[in-house]
Amino acid sequence: MEPIRFVTRAVLATIVIVVAGAAVARAQTPGAYVGESACLTCHESQSYKGTAHAFTSNGRTPAATHGCESCHGPGKAHVDGGGDKTKIATFKSMTPQQSTAQCTPCHNRSSHALWSGSQHDNRNVGCVSCHNVHAPEGPKLLKTKTETTTCAPCHRNVVNKQNRLNHMPVREGAMACSACHNVHGAQNVRLLKTGTTVDESCASCHAEKRGPYLWEHAPVANACVTCHDAHGSNNDRMLVAKQPYLCQRCHVTSRHPPTVYDGYVMANSTNANKITGRSCVVCHQAIHGSNAPSGKAFLR
Amino acid sequence: MRTRLFALAGVLLLTSAIPAASQDEKAAQQAPPVQQTAPPAAAPAWLGSIDFGVRGNDATGDLARLERYRDLQNGPFTRIGVSKETSSFVLDASAFNIGRRDQQYRASLTGSRVRFSGGFDSIPLNYGYGTLSPWIEASANVFALDPFARAQVQAKTAVGVPASVSDLQKTSVYRLLSPTFSLQQLRETASFKLTMDVNAATSFDASVSSSRKTGAQPWGASFAFNNANELPMTLDNRTHDAATGLEYSRDKGTVRVGWNASWFNNNLKELVWDNPIRATDANPYDPSGYSNGNGPAQGRMSVPPSNMLNSVSAVALYKMPAHSTLNGSVAFTQMRQDEALIPWTINPVINSASVLASFPELRALPRATAQAKVDGVNGVLNFSSRPNRYVGFTARYRYNDHVNKTPVFDAREYVRFDAVPEETGGETEQFNITQNTFDAAVTVQIAPFTSVKVGYGYDAFDRTGRAFSNMTDHAFRASIDTVGNRWVTVRGLYEHVKREGSGFSEASLEDGGSQPGLRFYDEANRDRDRGTLLFVVNPTDVVDLSVSMSAGKDTYNGPGHEFGLLDNNNTNFTVGINVYPSGLLNFGANYGRDHYASNQMSRNANPPPDPQFDDPTRNWTLNNTENVNTFNTFVDLPKLFGNKSDVRVSYDFSDSDNGFAFGGPRIAALTAAGTFLPLPNVTNTWHRFAADCSYFFQKQVGIAIGYWYEKFDVSDFATLDLPGAAGTPRIDSLGELSTGYGNRPYTGNTAFVRLLYRF
Repeated sequence: MEPIRFVTRAVLATIVIVVAGAAVARAQTPGAYVGESACLTCHESQSYKGTAHAFTSNGRTPAATHGCESCHGPGKAHVDGGGDKTKIATFKSMTPQQSTAQCTPCHNRSSHALWSGSQHDNRNVGCVSCHNVHAPEGPKLLKTKTETTTCAPCHRNVVNKQNRLNHMPVREGAMACSACHNVHGAQNVRLLKTGTTVDESCASCHAEKRGPYLWEHAPVANACVTCHDAHGSNNDRMLVAKQPYLCQRCHVTSRHPPTVYDGYVMANSTNANKITGRSCVVCHQAIHGSNAPSGKAFLR
Repeated sequence: MRTRLFALAGVLLLTSAIPAASQDEKAAQQAPPVQQTAPPAAAPAWLGSIDFGVRGNDATGDLARLERYRDLQNGPFTRIGVSKETSSFVLDASAFNIGRRDQQYRASLTGSRVRFSGGFDSIPLNYGYGTLSPWIEASANVFALDPFARAQVQAKTAVGVPASVSDLQKTSVYRLLSPTFSLQQLRETASFKLTMDVNAATSFDASVSSSRKTGAQPWGASFAFNNANELPMTLDNRTHDAATGLEYSRDKGTVRVGWNASWFNNNLKELVWDNPIRATDANPYDPSGYSNGNGPAQGRMSVPPSNMLNSVSAVALYKMPAHSTLNGSVAFTQMRQDEALIPWTINPVINSASVLASFPELRALPRATAQAKVDGVNGVLNFSSRPNRYVGFTARYRYNDHVNKTPVFDAREYVRFDAVPEETGGETEQFNITQNTFDAAVTVQIAPFTSVKVGYGYDAFDRTGRAFSNMTDHAFRASIDTVGNRWVTVRGLYEHVKREGSGFSEASLEDGGSQPGLRFYDEANRDRDRGTLLFVVNPTDVVDLSVSMSAGKDTYNGPGHEFGLLDNNNTNFTVGINVYPSGLLNFGANYGRDHYASNQMSRNANPPPDPQFDDPTRNWTLNNTENVNTFNTFVDLPKLFGNKSDVRVSYDFSDSDNGFAFGGPRIAALTAAGTFLPLPNVTNTWHRFAADCSYFFQKQVGIAIGYWYEKFDVSDFATLDLPGAAGTPRIDSLGELSTGYGNRPYTGNTAFVRLLYRF
């Protein structure tokens, strides 16, 4: 009987100890969060009021869940440690992927759904590379006042193109980078946010070029960027090279297409109309495609 | 007894632990209440700002180019913004330049479960305010010329379109009949978007937009090699877009299905215009009428046709262990265009029984409408994984299929320039493209904050209707990124892409009359090398210095490649500094230099059997180089006069020098014959200086003054002005009658005075 009693007592004791210990442990869980007001005691300037994160009526937001600790993790250890930075998630000390992992549990929908594996993600660009939740300067919680100044540090040579003679209305304030690109990932190439090809993206605004046409022009069907620089160019109509020389890169036939169009022709021959003004497209105006039965060579 | 006591103690402990656990679970399930450190505040007020004032503009030169996408005419200036924020919604609305051609209106409501945004944008495109045209629009897109002038020109008693150097010394009768007008167009877009969270996991969104284009644009409408015309074609079209989507999202992933459609409606179906050098149709028709101008009295051409696009798509994201994610999308797209076709020609001489007897296919069209259709399928699959902090993998596959299903249109008999019926037309050719792309990369952290990525890409194109039926790109990429530390950021990338074509058809080149050694640069064999390097140094918290360099080289080097684009190089260098020491001063400056160079070869020859076609001494080359400098700087002094003021000054600069160097034996021969003149470089320089200063003399009321100076200089041989009257367009040039639209200099001074009110 004695061994049975011993075992019974031991088992009971074990059960009691384990269950009581677990209860104590669980009782510690809510204590790991200290609440937003505790955070603001020291970090008063780090509020996120005025942003969508602050909507308490939306159950998904930080304000409706754990406040500051929704993104920075439970703060009790940080507070108990006298502000020990190693006891709290600080974005400044994280890698881009680590900081992004704090955002993507919520921001993984809609325009952010294709972030993982996207071009910026693959190059160690994280959310906080461009966004500042606490002190945004621009729209969409951007760190700078405009999209252009956000993109410029890495894409300076592209941003500079908006100052060229022929450009999209970006520097006039009528367009921004996000008019064409979804920097968070896209099903189209080059992070183009609309359509599935370059042409579909461009034709979303320039629908008159969409076609399809009776007579198609091969480089147009391939991609608009064969002939155009969408970011800006010093050539007319944002072409990558001046006409007629752009056209002469492909049209090496006979008679007028491969003619030498120089200053002498310009001064002495009616072939000057291939050099001045609209150049080739003064005749071949339907260059993006023609719907005319006699539209061969895009003359009609 | 002891056991009973022991058991009782255990029971007591257990029973006290269980409620604690229950409370823990409840606490874990419930969000902690928002702690308020202050008594409930008063209802949020409206906040806003009103800038209202006047703007004056004094400009010389090409005012349309100065304005371009803006409306800088003298008059009122407005910028209004209001917002209201509560704990459950934020409402924003703004208006800019009310009543102007570049006006903008925005409104958005962001609530806990509903987000609405809408807006209206008006974007002008100003071509020229000094353009001229002798054509009068008699009815929608029907342009007529003075009949007496046409008769004079046909009788050769007046110059219409200059056909010789001596004609240039005379004034075209049409120049005298051309009033000056403003050539402009306007795009007006209204858009709305609604997103609604059905529940925490499900959301629905819908958007619509409608964009209208009106005004005119310069449009080429010609009759012959020696009779090229440009006139202001009227624009009257509208694009409607609609999209909707349903999204379901949980911790493990997201699924979204969507539909979007776009309808382009062109209210104008064709363009009809009078021939400036023919008052009557050449009768009988002249077989050389497309080159010597003995053509029709009128021309007719098609304009961009109404069309539509329809697409359904799905996007999905799935999160897997080890920081891995699988996401992808699939889309099915249809594009349709079925406009009524215009007749073969407007020329009644060709539409006569006698001509049609020789060209019977021109009696009727093979079909009445275009029946143009393209179907597309696109699929993307991305996999990324970071099993630990040292290694990561990514892989991506993309499939895109563009299938043109437009029935072939038999135009072997057609009418060239409305002047000449010919049997040298052909059948329409549609271009199908199927693309398979695969990319894979490995990222390794080689040091704290530094990772290296190497990857391989494979891109295969299958195409119809081109010289190469297949193209394959093999890409090798390597990059290094040092990010996340407070001192320095380094980003470098190198890419080598080798493109090879297969299924080459020399016959397809010959069918088009091309030299057999020609290769089209968008499909030719090519070696591409590109590299970029970016350094950003932060010596202190308030300063960053950046330097970036990039270079790219494309070499077209396939077997038999003799003509077309041979190589294409570019280099770029930028350096910049940003200083933001305090709330009192921000300063930045950036300089960039770009260099572009391309090399192409051609042969100036008659068609076979003329031996010129195969004569290498007829070859010529063109080396085109462009150098661009860009500079910008700004100074922000947000509190120059205490908290009441804000001053910002900025300067932007960009210039370009674009040169054309011809070479080769053909050029040498022309030079020896005294019939070659090099073209001058095309250059432009643009400066913009902007200053804005605001001062609040009361808490809510202030005043602001702003000033813009903008100067543009340009030299472009393609823009023609009257002799001795720089800036005044010459519309009658050798072989052409145009609107005079071109690239001309300007200087603009724009000043603003605004009253500011904040509430």
